[in-house]
Amino acid sequence: MDNNKPLSPHIQIYSWNISSLISISHRITGVINIFVLTIICFWIASFLLGSSNYEFIQNILNSFFGKFLIIGITWTFSFQILSEVRHLFWDLGYGFEIKTSNISGFIVILGSFIITIIIYILGRQLI
Amino acid sequence: MVQINLPKNSKVQKGEYYKDTTGSKNIRKVNIYRWDPSSGKNPRIDTYEVDMDNCPSKVLDLLNKIKNEIDSSLAYRRSCSHGVCGSCAMNMDGKNGLACTKPHSEIKGDINIYPLPHLKVEKDLIGDLSTLYKQYHSIEPWLKNSKKDDGKENLQSTEDRAKLDGLYECIMCACCSTACPSYWWNGDKYLGPAVLLQAYRWIIDSRDEERKKRLKKVADELKLYRCHTIMNCTNACPKGLNPAKAIASIKKMLATS
Repeated sequence: MDNNKPLSPHIQIYSWNISSLISISHRITGVINIFVLTIICFWIASFLLGSSNYEFIQNILNSFFGKFLIIGITWTFSFQILSEVRHLFWDLGYGFEIKTSNISGFIVILGSFIITIIIYILGRQLI
Repeated sequence: MVQINLPKNSKVQKGEYYKDTTGSKNIRKVNIYRWDPSSGKNPRIDTYEVDMDNCPSKVLDLLNKIKNEIDSSLAYRRSCSHGVCGSCAMNMDGKNGLACTKPHSEIKGDINIYPLPHLKVEKDLIGDLSTLYKQYHSIEPWLKNSKKDDGKENLQSTEDRAKLDGLYECIMCACCSTACPSYWWNGDKYLGPAVLLQAYRWIIDSRDEERKKRLKKVADELKLYRCHTIMNCTNACPKGLNPAKAIASIKKMLATS
């Protein structure tokens, strides 16, 4: 009889707020970053195999898709770092009030884009 | 484990539509989750047209009106209707809260009412909270003190008493625990915000003599550290308490002791 009881809807109906949105993004960007770091290790290791490999990957990274990838990765790392700083403050016991956590969440989202843009500008030597 | 989709027998279907019979011009649609244990069918969403000109301000009043005037088969828990007992905790407009303190004017569009999320449903809006009560029992929520009864008061300083503010007000309505995604996926092992807030209430009590034992008991990968500070609990609490902060305080005590 107990097994016949239905499970009430959960993630399907629960409304999102800035904190839960950042929490899930933090996880997703974390997983992406692990993959990216692994790939970067392989990339560097491939230099040992000769210049043709280097040029091959250089061509990929210079394509439109490659640039999209690099900018995307810059964002996931910026987001991860800022969100991790937010977690550090929480671990010290600060910033748990709803208002404070909403503001810090907003700073994380806005800051991640700003850092991405700054890195892009510095990397392209636009200034 | 994370399971995004509902099991087969829990898939929600379209239910009946109750048209307004009063001829009122001020009508709102109310969608309510229904499940009848005797029917053997899947849960459904019934829609009621409610005359808002003759309806008091809170969501619970709305439910009472539906039960009294439209459909008496609707089942839900309620008792004090003043936000003190915690019986009428449910999910309104995608957010957990007490139906008796939530004004329906705060909800835009159709009013969607579901039982508390990720619970076994007993009937309609009534969820089974027995796991949560078992977990509450497991933290031994009573004062442990070896002092012999000498007829005198067990005194506490003003500062020590102030540490219980924001904790003792908890009414165990389960709004926070059932709002927590970690509790959805690991509700059998993770204690959840409501029980952890209660645990902290006894850990921090200066009159309690078993602080170390209590801390040791709760210090567990699954029981405590499944909290990832998603903050859904604090956002949901109808009493304005902060379970996320209480859990962080336990973590901090464990890290510094």
